[in-house]
Amino acid sequence: MAASPPIDPQEAKNAILEYCLRKGALVAGVADISIVERIAPEGHRPSDIWPRAKSIISVGVGGQTQGAWSVPAKAMGYFGSTETRAYSVAYGCSFYIENKFGKRAIYCPPDMDTEAGPRVPFQSLKLHAEVAGIGARSLAGDILLHPEFGYMYFASVFTELDLPPDAPMAENPCPTPSCVDLFRKSGQTPCMKFCPVQCLSGDIDENGKQAEMRYDMASCAEMTQQFESVPGVIADAIRAESDEEREDLLFDAENKILWYKLSVGSGGLLAQCFECMRVCPIATQANQADPIHRFEHRAAGDDA
Amino acid sequence: MTRGLKRDQIGITEELIQTFGETVFELSHNRQVRRGDPVRELNWEEIEKQRPGTGMSDIEIARRLGLTHDQTTYIRTIMERRKFDRTKYHRLYDLGGGRRFRAERYVPHPERFSFRPEAVALRKALDFDPRISSKHLRLGHWNADTVTGWLQKWAKDTPDAIAIRTAEGSETSYSDLDSASLRLANALLELGIRRGDVVAIQLPNTPDFMVVYFAVTRIGAVLSTLHMPYRGGEMEPLLRHASARAVVCAPATDSYDAPATMRELCGRVDTLEHVIVTGAEAPDGTLALQALVDGGTSTVIANPPVASDPAILCFTSGTSAAPKAVVHAYHTLLGNNRIAAKLYGMTSDDVVLGGPPFTHAFGICVLNFTLMAGATALLMPAFSPPSLMDLIETGRPSVLFVAPAHIAACQKAGLLDRHDLSSVRIATISGSACPPEVAHALENALPNGSVGQMWGMTECFMGLHTPFDGPAAIRCESLGSTTPSFEARMVSPEGAILPDGEEAELEIRGCSVIAGYFNNDEANRTAFTGDGWFRTGDLARRDGDGTIRITGRVKDVINRGGIKINPTDIEAVIDSHPAVLMSAIAPVPDGILGEKACVYIELQGDSSITLEEICRWLETQSVAKMKWPEKLVVVDRMPLTPTRKIIKGALCPLPES
Repeated sequence: MAASPPIDPQEAKNAILEYCLRKGALVAGVADISIVERIAPEGHRPSDIWPRAKSIISVGVGGQTQGAWSVPAKAMGYFGSTETRAYSVAYGCSFYIENKFGKRAIYCPPDMDTEAGPRVPFQSLKLHAEVAGIGARSLAGDILLHPEFGYMYFASVFTELDLPPDAPMAENPCPTPSCVDLFRKSGQTPCMKFCPVQCLSGDIDENGKQAEMRYDMASCAEMTQQFESVPGVIADAIRAESDEEREDLLFDAENKILWYKLSVGSGGLLAQCFECMRVCPIATQANQADPIHRFEHRAAGDDA
Repeated sequence: MTRGLKRDQIGITEELIQTFGETVFELSHNRQVRRGDPVRELNWEEIEKQRPGTGMSDIEIARRLGLTHDQTTYIRTIMERRKFDRTKYHRLYDLGGGRRFRAERYVPHPERFSFRPEAVALRKALDFDPRISSKHLRLGHWNADTVTGWLQKWAKDTPDAIAIRTAEGSETSYSDLDSASLRLANALLELGIRRGDVVAIQLPNTPDFMVVYFAVTRIGAVLSTLHMPYRGGEMEPLLRHASARAVVCAPATDSYDAPATMRELCGRVDTLEHVIVTGAEAPDGTLALQALVDGGTSTVIANPPVASDPAILCFTSGTSAAPKAVVHAYHTLLGNNRIAAKLYGMTSDDVVLGGPPFTHAFGICVLNFTLMAGATALLMPAFSPPSLMDLIETGRPSVLFVAPAHIAACQKAGLLDRHDLSSVRIATISGSACPPEVAHALENALPNGSVGQMWGMTECFMGLHTPFDGPAAIRCESLGSTTPSFEARMVSPEGAILPDGEEAELEIRGCSVIAGYFNNDEANRTAFTGDGWFRTGDLARRDGDGTIRITGRVKDVINRGGIKINPTDIEAVIDSHPAVLMSAIAPVPDGILGEKACVYIELQGDSSITLEEICRWLETQSVAKMKWPEKLVVVDRMPLTPTRKIIKGALCPLPES
């Protein structure tokens, strides 16, 4: 086995962040994992998933296009899929680290904790990004905002590479002066005023800074989290007084969308548990299947 | 349940959920409060202090409250389920694309689209056999047209074109008509009138009627017409049957205080809430129509009707013992006009004068025809022979719709030849059987026009037509053939379909035949076959060339000792007697024969007549003796429907003569 060349942490960080930007991230940074470990609640610390992690790379990609902001809300709801772009960058980044530096990396699972239910993520990507200095909490339910890139979707990579961390942002761009003006006049910022379920409230201090952010996440979830609707619809259908009512509940267009989303989104039910591949010697151990092997091959070639 | 554990395995009870539910929910991420910006500033003291507010993990909550991790997760997720309102996200449908949420203006969708139970019940009258409705949709007989759609088209395409012209010469443009109806529509919504509600109307053929019609249909409410001669006793069962919410009427006159009558009806008809009176001022307890029009906004109607919605509710003209409620959707209401349009060749240049009142289906049909063409409606509020003839001369209509009685009255008054009828290019006679000489008389009085006949009923609108370019004998002496998309057949009392040349009951089906009467199972069993055929109650015969002639009414046939006498032809002969203004033959009971024929006569002026004179007249006209009437009753005034059809049922009880 060829010896790994020494890795300069700063150079590695620069290369990794440059890779992320090249692949489509608007911003990227490194979060201090010790800070994240200290703030994240038990069960959701990086060490709860992968104790070997020494650094967190956080990437942000653009959310909506300008055009998207003007379309009806029911259509705009689908543009959240730009988050998959962030995932793609992070996924590539983890391969890049293993391939380039021969150190393990994982694409931090962006989904929900299967034991805790669909409102609890495995990890707070938001916390990673905030600590990495690529976003700051807003009055809009703590959604992170960036002074240059605005609203973004985030993804994270954990690596055993020890990278120099970035610091959180020095200033929070929220609230803007115009938001402060509106708040002074009406007691609400625009995000509070136009929230369709009125789940936001708060206060701004005399310096125009956030004094308090109040967020009713349960109400917010009613606008977005249709997984709660699925059992509700089924339960109501079971209790329906007539076949017609039952049929309406299960088969009207709006509810059939639920079944559609279930069927296309249920990766675990569509032969994507990957257990067959996990135990397949070719899939995981073929010469070029393992990126670290690929790195070692390349390193050996370089030596030669 | 996590890992498939059951409630009792993790120690969950409903009491435990009740005890800890709210606290767990509040401590979790579901309710978040953050003060300052402690994470960004790495203010460790505040971060720790604010953990309960910023959302604790299940493990942290469990530790704080003395629960197990599993118990906490269970309680939190079940609370999330119990608190979840899955209808909230419907708000998304009103957002974006320039629309923003305004809490003070938001009306939940279930409220926005709510129908009263009465409105839902009314829609039952539109339950067509799916085979019939799908056929009309497939063939294009039914489409998405609505009355509002037609009005808006002309208001946009030809805003300055004249939609209404009155006998006094005032005019209303399509643009102004559209605008007034929109304002009234919004005012009706403000009053609480909803989509599917019934608004009744008792008005003559005036611009106000049209504004109300367009406003009511604009919001998806249903217009129910009440004939002008009706008074409280006649209207009460109709308003109750229709579950009317509002009624529009004219101001009080010396002979009839309509507002007072309607106010009184509000006390007797549970659903009736509003009385709207035409004009700028209204008596106490009523609303002024003009004030509603003036005060209404021009807000676009958010939830307008579609073609499958109910549009009008008419009661059959009353020749039957009990009126039946006919509900037409826009499909049946407008499909008939659209299909018959090619027979009339109407354009926006036409001026249309309709003799029938708008309170009758024939009148509504003419109104819609005019609207469809973007033509001008020339309005005649009340009929008299001079008023009709004068209006034709001054208003110069190009298209005329009249009932036989209109023309017969003008003919008897000697007015047909004394007026300039040169503007008329086509005149349609309909409403009841027309004596051929009446049709020929009108034909002869039109130097530039031709007469046609149309047969229709409230239940189906225009079912038979003569072609305007056909021979006069066809146009004046028959009803031609079926309107495109319609089928006709003659059916014996035993149910046999008879060949051409045989007289029997006319059954008809087509794109504007209703599905059934509203809330009248008995009448539906009698009148509808279940496969789209409507039993008209008219006797008819189809000639070898396909021409159909109406020969009478099934229920008018007199059974004289087993011999069936159809009185229609005999009445036509008697009507031609110089002393007779109009006649009707009806049966009287007879101990030996079962029934005998009795003739009722309204005399012309100061004339007089005897039964013997009538029989002599029939003999000279070669009418068989067995058909001669055996009794005579002279009446002061013949009871007539609004379309001037004789109400034979009202001729009873029979006095001795």
